[in-house]
Amino acid sequence: MKKPSALATAVFVLLVLVCLFYLFPLYWTLITSFKFNDQIFTYPPVFFPSGIDFANFFQSSSVAHATSQTAIGSIPWMVDSTVVAITATLVSTFLIAAPAAYSLVRFLKNVWLGRLILFMTMIPEVVFMVPFFTLDAQLNLLNSWWGLALVYLSLTAPFATWLMMGFFNDVPKTVEEAAEIDGLSPYQIFYRISLRLVTPGLVAAVLLSFIFCWNELLYALILTYSPFPTGSETVPLFITSFLITDKSFAWGGLAAAGIFIMLPTIVMGIFAQKYLARGLTLGAVKG
Amino acid sequence: MKGLSEVIVEDLTKKFGSNTVLDHVNLKISAKEYFVLLGPSGSGKTTLLRLIAGLEEITSGAIYIGGRKVNGMSPKERNVAMVFQNYALYPHMNVFDNIALPLRVRGKSKDATARKVNEVAETLHIRGLLEKKPKQISGGEQQRVALARALVRDPTVFLLDEPLSNLDAKLRVEARAFLKKLQKEVGITTIFVTHDQAEATTMATRIAVLNRGSIAQVDDPYTLYSRPNDVFTAGFVGSPGMNLVRGVARRSGEEWEFHNDDFDLKLGKAAFDGEKGVTLGVRPEQLTVAKGGSGLAGSVSNVELLGSVSYVTVNVGKTPFTVQLTGRPELEIGDRAMVGLRPESVLFFDESSGERIGAQGT
Repeated sequence: MKKPSALATAVFVLLVLVCLFYLFPLYWTLITSFKFNDQIFTYPPVFFPSGIDFANFFQSSSVAHATSQTAIGSIPWMVDSTVVAITATLVSTFLIAAPAAYSLVRFLKNVWLGRLILFMTMIPEVVFMVPFFTLDAQLNLLNSWWGLALVYLSLTAPFATWLMMGFFNDVPKTVEEAAEIDGLSPYQIFYRISLRLVTPGLVAAVLLSFIFCWNELLYALILTYSPFPTGSETVPLFITSFLITDKSFAWGGLAAAGIFIMLPTIVMGIFAQKYLARGLTLGAVKG
Repeated sequence: MKGLSEVIVEDLTKKFGSNTVLDHVNLKISAKEYFVLLGPSGSGKTTLLRLIAGLEEITSGAIYIGGRKVNGMSPKERNVAMVFQNYALYPHMNVFDNIALPLRVRGKSKDATARKVNEVAETLHIRGLLEKKPKQISGGEQQRVALARALVRDPTVFLLDEPLSNLDAKLRVEARAFLKKLQKEVGITTIFVTHDQAEATTMATRIAVLNRGSIAQVDDPYTLYSRPNDVFTAGFVGSPGMNLVRGVARRSGEEWEFHNDDFDLKLGKAAFDGEKGVTLGVRPEQLTVAKGGSGLAGSVSNVELLGSVSYVTVNVGKTPFTVQLTGRPELEIGDRAMVGLRPESVLFFDESSGERIGAQGT
């Protein structure tokens, strides 16, 4: 074995520290969710809990819980989130971003349009609060899946478009020309060739769009929240139910719900790895 | 009609913005011909091919394929096939699907597609690769797949854009012979673009030499080599190129005399009266070099041994002459040597127009 250089060792140590920095909150949430409630606020803090309690996930076993909510209670809310996030993501990436990005790159060839789309993603979403509320109210879509999905897809589509423009730009022009020579129509070239070659970009756009929709709180609060269940509240709203007073949270239940809610996006991320890492256009064109 | 399509290019001009890439080009390519477009980079040869393919729009002029005016038609309507320099295979499809795609988009049945793909794969010796993805096979194999994809649907014209330039030297020579044989077998009108004159002369029935957007000469390889119409073609065709020497030709009595700062030459029967600025051209294999005897005296500045032949460069004054010799030269750099030149092997090109003097007559 070759001895690693001092620089390599230093880089390695630095990377470990960065990983620890980013992963610690995840670890802390995880152990908090499994802690008995009397262990959550101890000093010195308990980094390695002695026992495991599933109460925060399934059933209130301790009187210390000031709320009846547990993580398992998030499931109906997750159904709402899933419908909204998947609808918004599929429409914004497949129906809007992919064709839009392709047209902008191949036919309009206008860099300023691309930049304009990027600028749009920089506008704070809160700016659109009143217009979107009015829009949904007029369309009678308040407190519905579709009202929320409509708003989400208009927020994610510009970013997804901009992201995919970069990927379409990297599709070798000659591959498309070869397809043209082979007799494919422009639509067939898009669908059968280019879109397949930007799979990593499409997967990234889907993932980022889904995560945005899954975690979004502001618009969910404005457009779907009411004192009475509307049947369209997404999971971030469920988290707010762990608020006991305006100053205190039921931390154990909150952490458990957090873990629960994280799971779908983490699983998606793991499956997407394969596509994200693979440079599909590699080997398409030699030279 | 398979392979029986002649291609006619009529007064074709192509501009990119204000930049004229092709300037009033006329060509007539017969059915089943193996036609090569030869020129240096920037000469417009690839643009011409892309215009014939339908990948670029014509600025003015017309293109006819098989008697049909194809201006404004899509590549599909023209039913042309093309092999790109980088092969441009579909990386997400396996070899079978790559070859099958042109048939599938034309609505051929599954059985007919499979049969045809296997048939073409057989011809090109790539049966064993059908399940593989393009990046899993070698450059030479990728090239055959690209050829298969082009041939699978009986195109009217077969267009090749420098398809050999990404192959290594040995494979390139093999592919050259293979392509020539293949074209004979399938008998499709073929237009081949290259900047490599050796590739052009070994494969073509006829060659069009392009120079800065215009056709310099269209002829069979031998005529092109022995009777180039202008200085450009003379210098571009042949490797090493023709020796080209600038000077003045004048009549003296019944004979010609060529002269520049370095030497004077008496040449045969005069072709014109008076005095004229000319470029003298002579092929390396038509010169002789020896340590003694008659000729132009100079000194050896370079010796290149290529195996069966060698090239000796002799500087006569400041004018270099490259001479081709068979076998091993008995000369070394720095030696004094005499360059022998037969008057009948010399060509003259007009200094101002670049055209060969007597090109119309002989």
